[in-house]
Formats: sequence, C-alpha cells, structure tokens
Amino acid sequence: MYRRIILLATRNRSGISPIAEHSINITNQQETKRTSVSTCPNRQRMHYNKGVCAPNNRPFSTSTALSKENEESSAPKTGVTEAKVKEEEPRKSGKENLLDLLSAMKVGVTTKKKFQALKSQKSKEQPRVHPESMESATSMFQKATTEQQAQKESLSPELVAAASAVASSMPFKKSQTESELLQQLRKHESDTEVHKKGETNNIGNIIADMKVGKHPNARSPNRPANQIRFDDDGRGYTHDRGVVNEFDAVRRRKSLFTGKRLNIFPSTTDTTETEPKEVSVPSLWDIELAGQIAAVIKHLPRNGFEEMIQWTKDGKLWQYPINNEAGLEEESDVPFHEHVFLDSHLEDFPKQGPVRHFMELVINGLSKNPYLTVKQKMEHIEWFREYFQQKEEVLKESEAY
Amino acid sequence: MAASVLARLVKSGFEFLQTSFRTTSQAGNVEQVRGYYVNWRMLRDVKRRQMAFEYANDRLRMNAIRKNTILPKELQEIADKEIAAFPRDSCPVRIRNRCVMTSRPRGVKRRWRLSRIVFRHLADHNQMSGIQRAMW
Repeated sequence: MYRRIILLATRNRSGISPIAEHSINITNQQETKRTSVSTCPNRQRMHYNKGVCAPNNRPFSTSTALSKENEESSAPKTGVTEAKVKEEEPRKSGKENLLDLLSAMKVGVTTKKKFQALKSQKSKEQPRVHPESMESATSMFQKATTEQQAQKESLSPELVAAASAVASSMPFKKSQTESELLQQLRKHESDTEVHKKGETNNIGNIIADMKVGKHPNARSPNRPANQIRFDDDGRGYTHDRGVVNEFDAVRRRKSLFTGKRLNIFPSTTDTTETEPKEVSVPSLWDIELAGQIAAVIKHLPRNGFEEMIQWTKDGKLWQYPINNEAGLEEESDVPFHEHVFLDSHLEDFPKQGPVRHFMELVINGLSKNPYLTVKQKMEHIEWFREYFQQKEEVLKESEAY
Repeated sequence: MAASVLARLVKSGFEFLQTSFRTTSQAGNVEQVRGYYVNWRMLRDVKRRQMAFEYANDRLRMNAIRKNTILPKELQEIADKEIAAFPRDSCPVRIRNRCVMTSRPRGVKRRWRLSRIVFRHLADHNQMSGIQRAMW
C-alpha cells in the first residue's frame, strides 16, 4: 500500500498552488512504480512538456514561466525538481529520502514538523484521517463558493472560513496550520495577480545579479591621447572639438524629458472633449469600406521583418516571447477550486455502485489535469451522465445503476 | 465563372481544393482546379486528421468505459460495438506522418515534418536554422 493523501490542487499552470498540506500526493520514492491512475496529463492538449511522463517524475514541476515562482509556494510536492529526486535516490532509501527532500526545500516549519510526525505515526492511519477532513472541507468549500469571490489583496471570507475549518480538523497545531494555510492562500493570490499583470516590477530582482555593463566608448574621444592626430608634417595637432562639447551635456541626459520645462507652448486640453460616439452595428458597407482602406494602406512587405509582422498580425506566427498560455487569458480568471473540487457535479449519478466509483475516478483524474479548461471538464462529465442515462436498462440488468 | 467554381469547392465539406480535377461550369466548359496538396494521398491523410480531431473526445470517453475493471461487462461490450461503429477515419492510428513538401510516407523526421531528401536539400542550401553538417 502506498501512502496516498488526497490530491487537491497541484499544477501551477496559472499559479494554482496546493491549498493544504494534507492535500498533497506523496508517494514514497521507492514505491513510485505504482503511481496513481491519472498522474500523467493528457499530452494532446495545449502544453507540450517534454519527457514528462516518466514513472518516477512528477509531471508538475516543469517548464512553464511560473515554475520559478511557484517552486516555493507549492513546496512539499511540486517543488521537487527532477534533478533533486534523481540525485537523492541512489544514496538513501525510503522514508529518509523523502524527508531529506522535504527538509531541503523552503518549507514552513509546521509542514516539516507535520511530516516528521507523519513518519512517526503508522502510515495506514493517515489516509483514514484525511478523507473525513476532506469531506468537511470540501463540503464547506462547495457551499462557500456558490458566489463570486472577492478579488485583489484580501482573501475572500469563504476561503478564510474554509481554511479555518480545515485547520480545525487537523490533528496537531491548529492555529499554526491555519496561519500557514492563510499564508499559502495569500501567496497564491499574489502570485496570480503578479502573473496577470506580467511581472513588471520584479525585473529588478532578476537583473540584480547581473553585472553592470559600462559604456566603454563614452570618454575616449575626449582623452588627450586620442585627440592628437598624426599629420603629414610630423607636427601633429589636436582633434577638432567643435560641436561635440556643446551636445555633450545633452547627450549625458538619460532621457529626453528630464530637463527643465520651458513653458513655450500651452499644454493641450483637448483630450477631455472627445466623447465616445455611439456606434451602431457596422453595416456590411462599412466593413467593406474599412477593408478597402486597409488594403490600400497595407503595402507588400519589403523585407522579412515586415513579413513576419504581417504574419503575427494575421495570427499565423506566434507572439514572442512565447507565452505558453496564449489564447487562454480568460482561463487564468477561473479560480483554482473550480478546477479541483468537481464533486458537486456528481449529483445526478447514483450514490453507490460501480458507476459512482467510475465517476469518482473520472473526477479525480480531471481534478489533476491542468491542461483542460473547466468547460471541457464539464463537457466530459455531461457526456458520461447522458451515456449512463441512456444505458440505464443495461445497467439495471446487471444491477449496477 | 469563378463564382461557380468556388461554390462547387465550398460544397466539398472540408473546404480544401482538390488537386487538379476537372469541373464543369454552368456554361458547360470543363475547367481545371488547382489545389494545395501534393497528391490525393496527402489529402486523404488531411481528412483523417480532421476527423480524428473531431472524434477524439468521444473516443477517449468510450475507451475509458471499455478499458475498465469497474463497470459491468455487458456495458463494456456495448461500448465495444459502439466504438467500432465510429467511422473508420476517426481513429488516430490511421494517420501517417507524411512529408509536408513531398508527401513521402517514409523517412520523415518528426521534428521538421520533412522527408530526409527535402531536409537534406534545404539544409544544404542553408534554409534550416541551426542545422549544420555533422563532422566530428
């Protein structure tokens, strides 16, 4: 038997980080041969991760733009890089291996203590504890998320309430786990916000390690050594300074707009006057005219660059720098719990029996799939619902419905 | 004249022009139509790919029902028959990765979708970015 704690949210495609420590799927490194049913994401879909579906690897720790940010937040499981796994494995065994990995990562204190406590307890008790807590948390969550959630920096009260419910169901150190959970949630929110804005502020962090490159040629024409030119007579004379020194001060300014304002021209106040005109639905003639104007203005591309620009506008060429989530912008607005907590859609299915079991496996797999949109997941579930309703008689004969 | 040809082509469902077949216009003249694909085999492969894309979800779900130890066997047998009833071109196994330029079915490198001959031709004329003759 492998230690299997129910997985809630794993993939950090758009900043989804695991909501709770108990929701992390940890399988013993030695026992990874028996991975769970649906760890391998569907490769037909949008992202193409190379070499991902090996039995030993977590498919979640690879190359999106966010993997750097989210390595810390999704610490206990998805932060494990494949290199780390491979180098740790041959030396150590089993539980020590796992714990070393966990302790090496940037994890909060409670997580570490919690896993040490896990190790000390019998492994079989843990999975029994968590499904109960999961039920309470998920039902709480499902009730809470019927409405829209509050955006921006504050966590929504339902999330806070859900976090406190989860923490209270944990066996040890409830206040600390609660604060940890809230911290994780806040970090997740801030990560998604940053990702949406496009990380304009943090470029300083990235370039902090880079060396400052000084412009080498700024002063060398001014040096006396460079100003003497060799003449035919052999006397030599200095370089013409002339115009150069007048523009030196101007050139030294870093930008065009840093000088003192001269107030020669009045600043324009016409921007407030234009109102948005009410445009009715453009008729076919208008569209045709606009197309004609565009065709007249558009010139044939004079070179390869213009050709590439034209293709990018047409959509034939991807936008650079490559955005893995091009075309998926509205997906990032979907909160992670709609991807993960899919139990509420199982209401039309029977409560017991093989059909339910099957659908729970389907839900489990879908919740782990980071490549599908919520709409696609819903379509899958819908299809199964219709199919089983059609095949009701067959199922009743075999007493399965 | 052009309009009737176009209308005829749009009718063919997938909107691809077929390689050089003859259509009769309204006036009764026989006209040739030039297409974009190298040959008919390439066209059929394109059709198979489009159909496989259409039926991909359905096939995935049916296979999930079939390859299962949980659901009853009667249901799985019915699912077997249903998936066999799908059109033959809907299965992805029938897709062949042909060369994009010459439609050659063999000797095609997947990364470039080109056959070895075309690849060599382009690489020798410096049209392949980052490809260089190997020498070590």
